[in-house]
Amino acid sequence: MLSEILPLCRALLSQTGLSHFTLGNLLMIAIGVTMVFLAVVKKYEPFLLIGIGFACVVVNVPGSDLAAPGGLFHYAYRGVGLLIVPPLIFLGVGAMTDFGPMIANPKLVLLGAGAHLGIFVALILAKLIGFSLAEAGAIGLIGGADGPMAIFVTMKLAPHLLPPISVAAYSYMALMPLIQPPIMRLLTTKAEREMGMKQLRQVSRLEKIVFPILIAVVVNLFFPPVAPLITMLMLGNLLRETLVVNRLVDTAGGPLLNVITLVLTTAIGSTMNAESFLTVRSLEIVGLGLIAFMFGTGSGVVTAKVMNLFLKDKINPLLGSAGIASVPIAARVSHIEAYKANPQNLLIYHAMGPNLAGVFGTAISGGILLALLGVR
Amino acid sequence: MNAIADNVQGAIAISIIDFGLSFVIISGIGLILWALPLINRVWKIDEDSLKQGHSKD
Repeated sequence: MLSEILPLCRALLSQTGLSHFTLGNLLMIAIGVTMVFLAVVKKYEPFLLIGIGFACVVVNVPGSDLAAPGGLFHYAYRGVGLLIVPPLIFLGVGAMTDFGPMIANPKLVLLGAGAHLGIFVALILAKLIGFSLAEAGAIGLIGGADGPMAIFVTMKLAPHLLPPISVAAYSYMALMPLIQPPIMRLLTTKAEREMGMKQLRQVSRLEKIVFPILIAVVVNLFFPPVAPLITMLMLGNLLRETLVVNRLVDTAGGPLLNVITLVLTTAIGSTMNAESFLTVRSLEIVGLGLIAFMFGTGSGVVTAKVMNLFLKDKINPLLGSAGIASVPIAARVSHIEAYKANPQNLLIYHAMGPNLAGVFGTAISGGILLALLGVR
Repeated sequence: MNAIADNVQGAIAISIIDFGLSFVIISGIGLILWALPLINRVWKIDEDSLKQGHSKD
């Protein structure tokens, strides 16, 4: 009797996911749970990490069909792969963003370029360890700390690397409050961190309306490869600044952005299955991404300090690291570090200027990269 | 792909050109922003009428 039951049980077991469970799955589930933990307990970018972490857990349970063709996560990923999701994210971000701090203090836009040295450090290192130039360019763009832009450029240069690049980009963006402060403190004195900033001028409604139109024209004219993202960012912002279509603004920056965030985070998490993710190449990309973020943070602070050599009204060097694009995470980190040094110092509005310039800085770097590599 | 060699020298060349050009172009954006307030001299917008929202008439 037992000899008949045992094979049946074995056959039954082989049809469940348990028999296909690997150590790699266990490791990835642990990584997914850690992401959810960081989001819930440490409050590190919960909007991103909960979706990514949860999807990572689910796709590493053998037998789950969610990421297979026909599954919901598969279609979420298709939206990302077809470059539909990144521009829609930018539409929502534009609808939520006040570009006033950037318009009010034009000299700080330089930090949006200065904080992107990490892109090129990672690019050269990636080439040194054997990636192709196109792959190295896509990996370098992680250092722009702009998730949609990293996805967009990767799909053009090295689509097969999208899973590790998008995971690295979004994970490090969420972990910026951990990555940036030690570097910022290392490169600045306490007196520099305590520096206050002069109040910014008032930006008129007309300027705020003209700005997105002007930038959309310039970007489409000079950087057509990355124009879809910046164009949608500017459309969202134009809707916001005209004040006459509040319903559209509320939708683009609210429910639509929420839905797209759900799609994006589950799509990224669903690419984190052990089989394709636990490779030496993925680990190298994740490592290079971290190097890119660290160098970007450092170069931003150094650029601010160099600017101070020439400026009459000195700027707080902590603003430099906000030149990394991740909006508004990098600006928030600059603000918190300045606040810790001097509780009277409220840097957030000032830090938004370079932070928003960082979005353009990443788009410019990505656009030049695509143009130099002959990709449209 | 175009003429840039797929080797470390190519990566360094791309990086130098891209990083340098980024500064030039973002400085151009800075110049545009610096000149933007000039538009206030030629045109004014009645913000209160905008705040009333879209008219159905």
